[in-house]
Amino acid sequence: MPTFKLDGKTIPFEPGDSIIKAAERQGVEIPHYCWHPGLSSPANCRMCLVELVPKPGQRPMMLDVLELDEATGQYRPAQKPKLQPACYTPAAEGLEVLSDTSPHVTQARHDVQERLLLNHPVDCPICDQSGECKLQDYWLEHDKSGKRMRDEPVHKSKGVEFGPTIVYDGERCVMCTRCIRFMAEVAKDPVLDMRERGNLNEITVGPGRQLDGHYTFMTEHVCPVGALTTKDFRFKARVWFLRTAASLCQGCATGCNAHLDYDPRYNKAYRFRPRDNEQVNKYWMCDEGMLSYREAHDGRVLEASVRGKPASVSEALAAAKDLFAGVAKESVAIVLGAQHSLEDNWALRELGTVLMDSRHVYVSGRPDGYEDTILVHRDKNSNTQGVKTLAPGARPLSALLGDVASGAVTHVIALGGAAPVDAGDLEDAKLVVVAAHEGPLTKLATVVLPATSWAEHAGTYVNARGLKQVAEAALEPLGSSRTAWSLVAALASALGYQPSWSKLRQIRAQLTAPTAADAPAAAALAE
Amino acid sequence: MATATFPKKPADHINAKPVEYAPHDLEVKSYLPEIFRGVGVSMKHFFENTREIVRGKLPDPVLDRYDDGITTISYPEQKRPYPERFRGVHRLTTRTDGSMRCVACLCCSTACPAQCIYIEAGEYPPGDKRRGYEKYPVKFVVDELRCIFCGYCVEACPCDAIRMDTGMHAVPYDSRDQFIYDRDLLLSFEGRDGSHVTANARHEPGDPTHPGLTREHSH
Repeated sequence: MPTFKLDGKTIPFEPGDSIIKAAERQGVEIPHYCWHPGLSSPANCRMCLVELVPKPGQRPMMLDVLELDEATGQYRPAQKPKLQPACYTPAAEGLEVLSDTSPHVTQARHDVQERLLLNHPVDCPICDQSGECKLQDYWLEHDKSGKRMRDEPVHKSKGVEFGPTIVYDGERCVMCTRCIRFMAEVAKDPVLDMRERGNLNEITVGPGRQLDGHYTFMTEHVCPVGALTTKDFRFKARVWFLRTAASLCQGCATGCNAHLDYDPRYNKAYRFRPRDNEQVNKYWMCDEGMLSYREAHDGRVLEASVRGKPASVSEALAAAKDLFAGVAKESVAIVLGAQHSLEDNWALRELGTVLMDSRHVYVSGRPDGYEDTILVHRDKNSNTQGVKTLAPGARPLSALLGDVASGAVTHVIALGGAAPVDAGDLEDAKLVVVAAHEGPLTKLATVVLPATSWAEHAGTYVNARGLKQVAEAALEPLGSSRTAWSLVAALASALGYQPSWSKLRQIRAQLTAPTAADAPAAAALAE
Repeated sequence: MATATFPKKPADHINAKPVEYAPHDLEVKSYLPEIFRGVGVSMKHFFENTREIVRGKLPDPVLDRYDDGITTISYPEQKRPYPERFRGVHRLTTRTDGSMRCVACLCCSTACPAQCIYIEAGEYPPGDKRRGYEKYPVKFVVDELRCIFCGYCVEACPCDAIRMDTGMHAVPYDSRDQFIYDRDLLLSFEGRDGSHVTANARHEPGDPTHPGLTREHSH
């Protein structure tokens, strides 16, 4: 692999890489605003300027500048090298680049930072980006000087509603054009553009249009400052109070990697942020996915119920025992849930096929929906592939409706409340549902047991491409909910069986826990 | 497995004396003789002192303290003056138009070491000139029981919206929930100068005191 030198450190690069990209891959950050690994390089923020050392025998390109002589207070002519943007300059074999070690680069960063803050309102206390803002970070790292301009800053439009989800503040904007490029290059909907020039420059929406579609939240995510804020998150929380868990979006079978930001003091989830993963979602997530953090709280089954009346978990288990008293094992069916983790499904499969010796295995989940070619998958369940690997012979829920109607199945244990088809016929069956979210099945169920959602327990999910991914737990269990696999174990004990699992690691050992080596292999398989 | 036996410490290593208990007879159990004996000692000194004070052989302690200039005041009707920078219970200040200065930035809540400030931010209603970029506290709750009166919230506030210059100390109440001061109560308190605003004027764009261009002159 060819290499170049950055501040004396050898950096390998792939042909076509820019200096900044090759450096980032090695964990060396060159400060930048406009560059984003997933977007093109306009080289307009000038923050990533670096000095290129000329080859021996070559003359460096020098610029005539005026330099302030501190002693006399007079300006005197001087020269400085022409700096190059690291995001736009391709890496080349043997290139020698000076970044942190060059006084010219240090000065340039300081000056660029000062220029970006010239007309900035510095309203950090009421800005939602505060705490994760590049302007704040780089001011501390590269500027650390007070404002010298004594004039009133230029005022631009504030609180402009770009669309149903995004609000724009022109005064905070540094015109990096990341949002414009995201909409044009990734979302393929070039609805944003800039107008005016110089210090009047601001982002605007195309005439007759508004910023809508399925990828508007990403414009806020790529914004390095607080110019774009989402109506969903703005004013809700300060980011320094939030903690982050490496979670997975549960909205569809793509399985986008996401950070789940939550406030541990109130045990409440506040937002999803995309977690970079080249194999799955790269740097992006769709709007529906970004908003699906709400499902950690909305539509949850938080208390057990028996025939629609609230009950304690132990009362519900006793009711399930009465319900299943003296039932023939041929007429018992289990319904795996494509929305629940591998561990939960493994536990129910173990109860159904090993302990209860049932041959009726079905799978349920949310119905299919909107899909696109960028990220959104037609299958709206996060673990359909996982259920397929666990129970390859599982039949769809519609088959269960037929079996219930013909009398072959009288008793059903289901995981998850969602159903892809109208499940009203299940009314005739004795139904026990272990679910985190309400759905058609929890409405029909005789006994409902409250399970924790993906936000409250660690779980493994297999996405549409067969990639096994683990989501971390963030919140403490809400209400009286418990993990579904432990509820299934309690149900097994209540029905008079001896469950073979009592800890998550026992199930994980059965599942052959996913390893780092596993993921690329699975991805290659899916290709 | 055999249980392990540990060597016992020799008795002479115990550095203690056995206590001699009083015998548990009726006289000790009834308490009364000892109580009368104790009260008797107190009364003996009371009468001795009274006799000596009346004869003028002993100084009167109360009159002595008056002579030393120590006076007791009738609190709460009378109050001692507090120092100028005394940190009393919080108040929320208002702008000159009567609206609250707080922008719900949560800086006070962040700086608070006792975590006694709870704020929920909200957006100004449609049509308000501050809608879109400024927020205000829908809920602003200070738990005066948790508060340690360090004044960090006042230091942290970028808008001079929270002050501790009411001159009131935390008052004792009957129940704990009375110590939970909400937004409207905090807004109702006056500073020691009797006003709801502060001496530090806020120069907003549009105010005549604001330097430079106004928002109306913006491009």
